Amino acid sequence: MRVLLVEDDAALAESIARALRAESFAVDVADNGEDGGHLGSTEAYDVAVLDLGLPRRDGLSVLAEWRAGGRTLPVLILTARDAWSDKVLGFKAGADDYLVKPFRVEELVMRLRALVRRAAGHAASVIQCGPLSFEAQTGQFQLDGMPLKLTAFEWRVLSCLMLRKDAVVERLDLLERVYEGDADVDSNSLEVIIGRLRRKIGASLIETVRGLGYRLTAGPA
Amino acid sequence: MRLLPRSLSGRLLATAAVTILIALALAAAAIGQVLERFVMSGLDDRLDAQIAIVARAVGPDGTLDAAKAVDLPPFDQPGSGWAWEVIGPAKTLRSASLRGADLPLPRDDGPPPPRERVRERPHPLEGTDASGLRIHYRIMRLPTLRGDALVLAAGPRAIVDRPIRAAMLPLLLSVLLLGGFLALALVVQLRIGLRPLAKLRDRVAEVRAGRVRHITVEEPTELLPLVAELNALIDANEAAVSRARGHVANLAHGLKTPLATLKLDLAEGDGRLRDQVERMERQIRHHLGRARAAEPGAAAARVALAPHLNDLIAAMARIHADRDITPLVDLAPALEVQCDGQDLDEMLGNLLDNAWRHTRTQVRITTRSADRMVRIEIADDGPGMTPAQIAEITRGHRLDERGEGHGFGLAISRELAELHGGSLELGVSAAGGLAVVLSLPGGVA
Repeated sequence: MRVLLVEDDAALAESIARALRAESFAVDVADNGEDGGHLGSTEAYDVAVLDLGLPRRDGLSVLAEWRAGGRTLPVLILTARDAWSDKVLGFKAGADDYLVKPFRVEELVMRLRALVRRAAGHAASVIQCGPLSFEAQTGQFQLDGMPLKLTAFEWRVLSCLMLRKDAVVERLDLLERVYEGDADVDSNSLEVIIGRLRRKIGASLIETVRGLGYRLTAGPA
Repeated sequence: MRLLPRSLSGRLLATAAVTILIALALAAAAIGQVLERFVMSGLDDRLDAQIAIVARAVGPDGTLDAAKAVDLPPFDQPGSGWAWEVIGPAKTLRSASLRGADLPLPRDDGPPPPRERVRERPHPLEGTDASGLRIHYRIMRLPTLRGDALVLAAGPRAIVDRPIRAAMLPLLLSVLLLGGFLALALVVQLRIGLRPLAKLRDRVAEVRAGRVRHITVEEPTELLPLVAELNALIDANEAAVSRARGHVANLAHGLKTPLATLKLDLAEGDGRLRDQVERMERQIRHHLGRARAAEPGAAAARVALAPHLNDLIAAMARIHADRDITPLVDLAPALEVQCDGQDLDEMLGNLLDNAWRHTRTQVRITTRSADRMVRIEIADDGPGMTPAQIAEITRGHRLDERGEGHGFGLAISRELAELHGGSLELGVSAAGGLAVVLSLPGGVA
């Protein structure tokens, strides 16, 4: 899962990014509204965390522009503006959730996971695929009821496949949601990660669709 | 002692009454004067005619020709009060009415008239006769070779005074009548003229009550600058309030971002420090909430209730997206409340959020109006509160010190409701949960 974090306060942005990376998220940080708006319009993200009081461009106008341009990525507004009138304005501009500073990082992570899960069309918080289950609220994978240990890259790939289980996820799409914006991407590394995942959960669950990408599925297609 | 009364109409009445009295007195005096001069000139004409006749008796050498001094009636009647006399250098001629007696010469009280003016033209003088009656004289000097001859004619002053006295009563009566009419006109004028002030006061009161935002008065033109100033003052006031709110929002942002960083960095660390940070956070939230509340008594416009409720209900659906809560909304049509829009959002937002947090399956939202109050009931089917807990809240205590439970939002909402002249009551809902009733001044639009 890749998160776009638009926050102008450097110390807070760093703390949030650190906390999110500790939860295996890939995080891109923009410290002003213009860059944030551009990233959100051009890159693929699972979810965006958007501050409102931003230099150069206000968060609400960035959000309104995304929505006008057809960007449906879930957006959580993270702001000090705690008045209900401000929240109403945020939701009217197209926000999916609203969190007021100061906040607990567990709350932020939980809400982001829930946003991503709902955006993928899952109403229940536990997603099942054969022997594999994904507790979307905590981000935990279990295989046959036993906790599954994953590296951050493995978790990103597997959660992406899990949220879109039974559907083909394109290679490029997967790559975009696994690596942060400034990372050096080796196109072979995705195959390496898939290989390691297959060794952990069994080769049959992840299917390679030639020329397209990968599919996570429990039964025959 | 104050010379000017305190009230505007008192001042206008007093100054107008004084000027009217002075004007009427001057008019009466002037009319009297003109009348007297008019009557007097009739007397003078008669005396001057007699003087012209008897002046012919004076020869250039100073001799007097008695045959030429003819008496016009009534100068020939003794005791008529009419008489003439010619005093030549050597001899004196008299009218028949004098019967040879001297005409009592006027007492020369004032400075003697300049000789050249008296000469050859009759000049008036006043005097009294032996019996004390007032006499009006005309006197003329005629130069002769042997010195000046003095020609005098006299008539009773009463002939002038009588018509003047007779004219005075109707004159004074008409002046009084005129004064009365002017006073009446003044009172009417004051009542009509000052009416716009009362109207302006009503408009200002409407602004204060929040029914309108600005004062609209098209006339009179004298009041328009004042109205423009008042409207500018209202705008300046609103701008100041919104600036202050902006400052508060900036302060909130400024404090909360570092606080958020601190909280994140303390996440894994010391629980005591974290408690302190949370205490700071609650304090900031509480006081900023209060500071942000609109000034009590400030012009709060009436706002339509339904859009605010619907927006907030839509927000609840997003915020509590994972909870399957059904809102049952029953809004009376066209309700308006007299309350600042942001404060209304704050109250409703807190109450709805509490309901969504604690309910099990549904939240029932009902609005009704009665008796110039709008009643908004938010009822849930959650665990509700015990009477003891309700009593605690009513006393202003917060139940949940973590600021997450019912308590915090209820306390803020209650304070805001009271600031706006409303109230907040807690009770048990039909479904056994909490029923919160927010009452605010307002009614049907």
